Amino acid sequence: MAEVKKAVIEKGYGDVVVVDNVKSHANDPFFVKKVEDAKKALSKITLPGKKSK
Amino acid sequence: MHLDRYTSFTTDYQDYEFYSDGPKGRIKKTVMFTKVQDNPIIYNLAFGDVDPHTGIVSDIVTTDNKDRDKVLATVANTIHAFCNHYGNHYIYAKGSTPARTRLYQMSITRLWDEISIDFEVHGVIDNISYEFQKNVNYEGFLVKRK
Repeated sequence: MAEVKKAVIEKGYGDVVVVDNVKSHANDPFFVKKVEDAKKALSKITLPGKKSK
Repeated sequence: MHLDRYTSFTTDYQDYEFYSDGPKGRIKKTVMFTKVQDNPIIYNLAFGDVDPHTGIVSDIVTTDNKDRDKVLATVANTIHAFCNHYGNHYIYAKGSTPARTRLYQMSITRLWDEISIDFEVHGVIDNISYEFQKNVNYEGFLVKRK
């Protein structure tokens, strides 16, 4: 579990604590693939309120 | 939202982690928001379990820790924290498999009365987004805080 070095409770939404050591998984293969898949999917998706591509 | 949820931790408001507690033990979960498009700005929400031995993330394994709704409420809470810092943009989410996406949909349906207070939710079918409706199977979701 992350060591809490600097805890800030988000007002209004609670339960989110800011710490100094949450590891980014941006380069994790799982997330890299998810992001690539999302980019491909969104290039084709018609967003709410837009006309079909 | 006033649903029961886990405390989540963040450093940069883009990566979050929290721990699911249940019959299968204490399982580390991670949520990551990544900008995938400009004009309009859309972020991808990716979510999975962190392997305690390798640190590798996956959402292939079904944890079945009997806390699915609490986990979803926690993820929804990370969306609030994220939007507080990065703005109310569309957030795209899709499971790694159709079955996983279906699980997300079932949780959204169960928590709809709470979720719909704070979020617009659209479901995607054949690359077209529609307002979320219960009992419709979607291929992915676009969420935006109201």
